[in-house]
Amino acid sequence: MFDKEYVFSGKHADMVKKLTAQFGTDTNSKIFSRNIDVYIVAPIIGFLYGRKSSIDNTSDQTTKIFTEQLIKETTTLKYNYQLIMLLNKKQLPFEERLDKAFRNYGNKENTDDEETYNEFVLGGVEILYEKIIEEANMSEDFLQNIYDFTEEFNNRFNGSITTDEILDLCMLAKK
Amino acid sequence: MLLKSIKLFNFRQFKGEQEASFSTDIHKNVTVIMGDNGSGKTSFAQAFTWCLYGDTDFADKSMLNKEIENNLMPRQQVSVKVNLDLTHNDIEYNISRAQIYSRDDYGKIKPLSTSFNISYKKNGQQEFVKQSEVESRIKEILPKELSKYFFFDGERIQNFSKQIQRGKSKEFAQAVRGLLGLNAFIEAMEHLKPTSKFGVIGSYNDSYDSSSDDKIREYSNKIQKYQDDLDSIDQRLLQINDSIQIADEKCAELSNKINLHSEGERLQNEKKSLNQKIGKLIMARNQAEGSLLKVFNNNPTAYFAKSLIKQALDTLSNQDIRDKGIPDIHERTIKYLIDRGICVCGTKITFGNDAYVELNKALEYLPPKSIGTIISQFVNESEIRLKTSGFLYEQISDQYKIIRDFESDIDESRTDLSEIDKKLTDVVDVAPYQIDLHKYKDKIAELDREKRDLYQKRGAYLTSRDRLITDRSELTLRDEKNRKIEVYKAYAQYMYDELYALYQESEDKIRKKLENYINEIFRSIYEGGISLKIDSEYNIQILVEDTDGHVFDVEASTAQSLSVIFAFITGIIKIARENNNSIDDDSRMLESEPYPLVMDAPLSSFDKTRIRTICDTLPKIAEQIIIFIKDTDGEIAEEHLGQVVGKRYFFDKKNEFDTIIMQR
Repeated sequence: MFDKEYVFSGKHADMVKKLTAQFGTDTNSKIFSRNIDVYIVAPIIGFLYGRKSSIDNTSDQTTKIFTEQLIKETTTLKYNYQLIMLLNKKQLPFEERLDKAFRNYGNKENTDDEETYNEFVLGGVEILYEKIIEEANMSEDFLQNIYDFTEEFNNRFNGSITTDEILDLCMLAKK
Repeated sequence: MLLKSIKLFNFRQFKGEQEASFSTDIHKNVTVIMGDNGSGKTSFAQAFTWCLYGDTDFADKSMLNKEIENNLMPRQQVSVKVNLDLTHNDIEYNISRAQIYSRDDYGKIKPLSTSFNISYKKNGQQEFVKQSEVESRIKEILPKELSKYFFFDGERIQNFSKQIQRGKSKEFAQAVRGLLGLNAFIEAMEHLKPTSKFGVIGSYNDSYDSSSDDKIREYSNKIQKYQDDLDSIDQRLLQINDSIQIADEKCAELSNKINLHSEGERLQNEKKSLNQKIGKLIMARNQAEGSLLKVFNNNPTAYFAKSLIKQALDTLSNQDIRDKGIPDIHERTIKYLIDRGICVCGTKITFGNDAYVELNKALEYLPPKSIGTIISQFVNESEIRLKTSGFLYEQISDQYKIIRDFESDIDESRTDLSEIDKKLTDVVDVAPYQIDLHKYKDKIAELDREKRDLYQKRGAYLTSRDRLITDRSELTLRDEKNRKIEVYKAYAQYMYDELYALYQESEDKIRKKLENYINEIFRSIYEGGISLKIDSEYNIQILVEDTDGHVFDVEASTAQSLSVIFAFITGIIKIARENNNSIDDDSRMLESEPYPLVMDAPLSSFDKTRIRTICDTLPKIAEQIIIFIKDTDGEIAEEHLGQVVGKRYFFDKKNEFDTIIMQR
């Protein structure tokens, strides 16, 4: 996994292009700097909001992420993948999820899991696009939307968790 | 000078032929002409000026009656004429000016030829003044510079008060002197003038030229040249002074304007600094935006995945992970055993046998592949990620607030800016005034420099000239004939000096007299601690005396200006009259003739008491008065002047283009 070129196509390609487009006078005025930045965050978002989406072929649009970039970010991408697999479909027994996350990672026969992951990626792209771009007209609004999105996200998912709590859990888990 | 009558032909509102004759009776010397505004009083007064000088103050230079003009067919011609009968120096003059107008083929009215004639009665015959001499004759009868004060257009007071207070020109002073009877002096002095080639003394110098002594002639030439240069330097100095005065006035005016509008400069500066502030704010805001985006893009995973990480760790710590591994056994151990071929328990391990398969299976659960290891790795990862970017929301929040603060500052500044712009549209930009001010200041400095240079030159020339004169005198004294000429010159010079002293004395006396008369007359019209002073160029200064006896210069109000001018003219007239009637030999040396006063509605600016005073004073001062008044002033004038009025007219205004002069 994460060792070859990845291609966004159809409406998702369009969305990713817009998410990485320059919206201000400065070349750094972009919501996401590169395609890969979208790719890293999208599955987390898609998983949390419970949105999956399949590859869209309604248009010829494409945009890529090069192999080198994917390889550079392998650690993060692997971590995210494991996280999702660990927590996906709670009706699966823990053992199976452990296997999916840790043991079966990298297995060439794991096409189901890979597909699930990719569906979360595309779902996440859609959520990001809807929340940050669709409601906006001018670049001020992009900023506003990023802020609103982060705030909503914070309230909905992260509100009650402090970093210390988690660090304590880390200590526990290490034993 | 006395006006006898005037005839108008198609002159402005006066269609056709109209005439008026003026009272010349000694006791009933007032002619009253009554008419409402717009009935033609000003036009009538201008008729005198047009007849004598061919010039009026009207913007429309066409004198032709409008109704006649409208009815004029193409190629048709019509003439406008004014005939003036008057006496001057005991001679009866008829002065007539005519202007022919025609409509051309394009329908436009064009002025064609003008004719101007002066004729007089001599030995029962009418004689014409030669065309080449008419101009100077008019000047003799009444010079144009002074005509404004005798054909008195009281409505245009502003200009006049300025003129009076700041002396029009040398010509004005000359004209006044003429009226005061100093002309004979002036001519005599001109005749003798030591510095002119055409004066008596000059011609004596000329007769040096006929002497055989070339050197003397040479000296004379050089001396004359210096004299000419000195004359032109003096003239230029006068010009410079005038120019400097004008430039000074301009500077004062501009400084005033700049001060009034300095507000505008302040606002401009404010605007500039606001623009700068806005520029900086925008930059800061963009920076903050950049920061926000950087935070958003810098490893956001840990933040977004926080809840997931918690869940995962929860699960991991709660679950009992049955580590299928065997404590303290590593992959290396198994590999070693497999290589060795014998297990710890002694079982043979050969490729593919049960032991081999079981051992290989165990590899799955032993480090580094053991799940425990992997999970520890995972937990470590989680720890690291959390520590590095757990505060994404707080950071974005802070940056966002900063951005919004900048944006509201920018908006506020922009609003301030448009407020200033609104104010600026009312305010005039002072920059051009300041540029002009600099220009004028530079000009003044330049003129000052020139003045200094000229003074230097002048000094040098004077010295050289005088040295040459001395040298020449020495030379000429040797010659017998020339010696005589020197004596004649000395006499002539002495006469000139005497005349000059006498002239100064007389002029001083007369000027003082004029000043006194003017103050007298002025005070009788206008009480109040105001007095007038006249300087050597006949400029008038109005001085106010406050309760402590301090005296200072003031700007006159309309009524005051009117009174000043009135007092000035009547003062001059009074003196002129005195000179004429005087039995005193001294005064007889001053020759002058009285002038009439033609006044166009000055009463409108005065209150009732003043009108009364004026009406009382006037007839006693001037030989002849012709006065234009409005209907509304009529009754008062009649009340106070009634006994001295010799003739009465009124202007019957039929319509805009037609007024008829009717005798009452």
